[in-house]
Amino acid sequence: MTRRRYIGARMARWMPSRRAALAGLCGAVASAVWPRTARAFGDSSRFVPAVLQHRGKWDARLSGLRRLAWELGRRTSVEMVPDARPLPISSPKLFEYPFVYLGGDGGLPALSEDEVENLRRYLTFGGFMLVDANDGSDGGGFDADLRREVQRLLPQSPLTPIPSEHVIFKSFFLLDSAPGRLLRKPQLESCNLGKRAAVVYSQNDLAGAWSRDESGEFELEVTPGGESQRELAIRLGINLCMYALCLDYKDDAVHLPLIMNKRR
Amino acid sequence: MTSSSTYNAWKLVSLSPLPSWALVALGAGLVLGVALALLGLRKEPLPARRAVLWTLRILAGAAALFFLLEPGIRNMQVATVKNRVAILVDRSASMAFPADSEGRSRAQVVARYLESVAPELQALSERFSLEIDGFDPALAPLSTQALNAEPPRGGRTDLLSALRAVKAQEQSGSQKRLSGILLFSDGADNAELQQGVAGRARAALSDLEVPVSTFAVGRDALRDLAVEAVKVDDFAFVRNMITVEVEVRGRGFGGQTIPVVLRREGQVVASKSIQLKSADDLQVVSFQLTPDQTGRFVYTVAVPVFPEEAVSENNSRSFVLKVIRDRVRVLLVVGRPTWDERFLRGLLRQDPNVDLISFYILRTMSDDPNVANPDRELSLIPFPMDEIFNTKLRTFDVVIFQNFGYTDPALSISQYEDNLERYIHEGGAFLMIGGDRSFGEGRVSFPILGRAFPLEATGLPASVEPFKPRLTPEGARHPITAVQSGASASESSWSSMPELPGMNFTRPRPGATVLLDHPGLQVDGKPAPVLGVWEYGRGRAAALTVDSSWYWAFTSHRQGSPTRHYDRFWGNALRWLVRDPDLTTLKVTADPPSVEPGKPVGVVVVARMPDYQPAADAEVKVDLLSVATQKVIATQVGTTGPDGMARVEFPPPEPGPYRVIASARKGERPLGEGEDAVAVRAVGPELSDASVHTDLMERIAAVTGGKSYRLPLSGLPDVPLLDPPVVEVGRSKDQPLWDRWYYLLALVALLGAEWFLRRRFGYV
Repeated sequence: MTRRRYIGARMARWMPSRRAALAGLCGAVASAVWPRTARAFGDSSRFVPAVLQHRGKWDARLSGLRRLAWELGRRTSVEMVPDARPLPISSPKLFEYPFVYLGGDGGLPALSEDEVENLRRYLTFGGFMLVDANDGSDGGGFDADLRREVQRLLPQSPLTPIPSEHVIFKSFFLLDSAPGRLLRKPQLESCNLGKRAAVVYSQNDLAGAWSRDESGEFELEVTPGGESQRELAIRLGINLCMYALCLDYKDDAVHLPLIMNKRR
Repeated sequence: MTSSSTYNAWKLVSLSPLPSWALVALGAGLVLGVALALLGLRKEPLPARRAVLWTLRILAGAAALFFLLEPGIRNMQVATVKNRVAILVDRSASMAFPADSEGRSRAQVVARYLESVAPELQALSERFSLEIDGFDPALAPLSTQALNAEPPRGGRTDLLSALRAVKAQEQSGSQKRLSGILLFSDGADNAELQQGVAGRARAALSDLEVPVSTFAVGRDALRDLAVEAVKVDDFAFVRNMITVEVEVRGRGFGGQTIPVVLRREGQVVASKSIQLKSADDLQVVSFQLTPDQTGRFVYTVAVPVFPEEAVSENNSRSFVLKVIRDRVRVLLVVGRPTWDERFLRGLLRQDPNVDLISFYILRTMSDDPNVANPDRELSLIPFPMDEIFNTKLRTFDVVIFQNFGYTDPALSISQYEDNLERYIHEGGAFLMIGGDRSFGEGRVSFPILGRAFPLEATGLPASVEPFKPRLTPEGARHPITAVQSGASASESSWSSMPELPGMNFTRPRPGATVLLDHPGLQVDGKPAPVLGVWEYGRGRAAALTVDSSWYWAFTSHRQGSPTRHYDRFWGNALRWLVRDPDLTTLKVTADPPSVEPGKPVGVVVVARMPDYQPAADAEVKVDLLSVATQKVIATQVGTTGPDGMARVEFPPPEPGPYRVIASARKGERPLGEGEDAVAVRAVGPELSDASVHTDLMERIAAVTGGKSYRLPLSGLPDVPLLDPPVVEVGRSKDQPLWDRWYYLLALVALLGAEWFLRRRFGYV
């Protein structure tokens, strides 16, 4: 074998086939012509849930929140960061995260005055807070403490049940119920500032239904409805994120006839 | 009885010095005495005797009464003063219309008639004081020579005012009492009596308390087509339909079809045809129009001019329509939900002046919602592209693309780009808000629509480094970036706003104005733009290369001092995009917007500095542009006062629609331009109606007690006039009758005869 032929043989081993070359060329052309997947301007343009750190057990459901963000990104056009950013309640950085999660497994120690002041300002100027009783309490535990703190936080806007026709139940999925890991209470509650629900509270441990462990398996059982209930809980979570992002968009007149038709 | 040649009248009087009550008492006593005496004779058996005695007693009583009253004759010297008869002749412009087949005007027919009845008027003047006045509508003495020689020109006909003025002369004492009025007119009143004799007008005629005899003059058979009235609101809302009602009267056009055309500053807007049914017919035609621009515009309604029409100027009528916005209608198209969109939506939804229609791309084909039946389980609706980018596009005042680009071919709007670009060019407003899908790497280019953007993408990756946008010199003066009152306060506010986390790299297109830029990064050697604006055709467009303006709404509040910078910024942006008049630095107003023929055109210009303070001592130049010829026919200059206002006037131009275009500068600095519309009417109320209103003339006569007549007439009729001449007494002389000897002898004889017979008959 001459050197030239050898080099050619060696090169031939490394050269791609014509088919592969053609595919590669098409890919290159396509990527040049077709827009690349959009990258936002860092995290600020994406949906990143923040988690409020309090002096009780605040971090029981971090994986649930990460999972929620991931599901949001998978199922909708929203760009997200699959993370849960812990933040002190009195932190000014709260104002970079218009969606915060406040969960608790057990008691919720009283917030300091600075925390109340900061959180109140956060909610007043447009922030949204999802409150989740991870212990599924009703009348005691987290529930009782939370109601006490909400009274301090927004004395003019007490917690009231959210009616079934609220836009939260149609902001992306059409839903009839508000289950979480549990179904202790059929309804969500909210504190309203004007027409906007600034705080939404579930006693059914929503994030408990979203949580997965390291291996990717769902951490906790969902009762009484099982996996179908879990799916509903995920959908509710997505609806809550969509509500935080789009407010009453799905209440616009242009949507009403179609939505009513779907619900028939 | 003594008479004298100096006395020309007499009457019987009582010369008794006793007061009336004494005379009455004595007379009553006398009558009682006679009655008692007669009573005493009632038992007289012989009727003849009783009759004689009664007669004698009654005659004696009468004689005594005669002496008691002391009658006499008063010789008087009297003089007769004549009352007044006013002859009023209408001198308004409609009296110039032809009245007979020989082409004489109505005024000339009246003059001819008055000359023909001059002898009868002379005879009348022996009993009444005659005066001839013209009214136009002010009263002024008039001779028949002037009536013939000078054409009538009065701008209005106000019959009631003229009648009142004549009556007022009597009440002021400057003239004698009025016995009657002769009114010569065509009855074409355009003041209080225009709607007829009713209500207060009728009461006013009755209050004259003098008969008005009317003489109607004019020919009914005039051939004339007139746009008599146009009924339309003073203003309309843009994109809302309004109705214009036009009244067209045709005399001598029975059976003909007439086209009626509505134009806006020379451009035909609509046309309809009407059928005139009779020789004197009024038809109403309605036009529906939907203004597509705000501003003030001159509309003209016109019918054709036919030969032998009595007057051609009334064949068209102009009006000015002000078109304003009710709410700003905003279309918001969002590429994907973000916090930037959330806060903008929150702001627009709470603004009562905004009507928000929004469409968000909540899911693309690459997203998997994990549903078995999307139609039943998802609240999503199809993106109605054809409706919003085609059919209904021009119903929106502003279109906003917020990070709207598409990777999904199903969301391609390439077939609508042409329409969107044309929408902006023809007066629409467009706002492009940045993000990865607009100017970023994930963008899809809009080759046609993109021509309307003031900024174009460079293709460079976005910067993700935090930065604080910087106000450019142009931005320091622009209304969009005026988040505070006053330039320095606004600059200070911008420097206090929080940093933004990154931006798209763009470059400004030629002619675009950059209001905010990056303090450090550059494109093509110039600071990278953050906010660019420009005028595109008749429309406006703006582009913002960040998707984090929500930081100004939310993050800026973390320190606890709330501001309204975010609200003001977007509020200013919307108002600038839709050309809110309050954001202009030069406001031009035609005052009044409609002008009668022969009146000057007034224009008020208000100039403001870029910080919206009044621009005092600014030089203002105003051009008057004829819409018909598209030529400037006159220019006026002026200087603004301390309040930034200047008023200029143009000499009366020819009838037609005009635009007034103004510009101002203070020293070397231009303060902007503005314009307005003004209509110069073709006819005033006098010439718009060529008809003779005999019914009004008849009603005036009927209400006041006069009679109505129609010229031509032969001779002066017997018109009703009030009251005979007033008699006044000058010198007088009394001549007593009672002191004649034969009256005394008669009394004595009667008393004596009665006494003799009473004695004879045994009563004494």
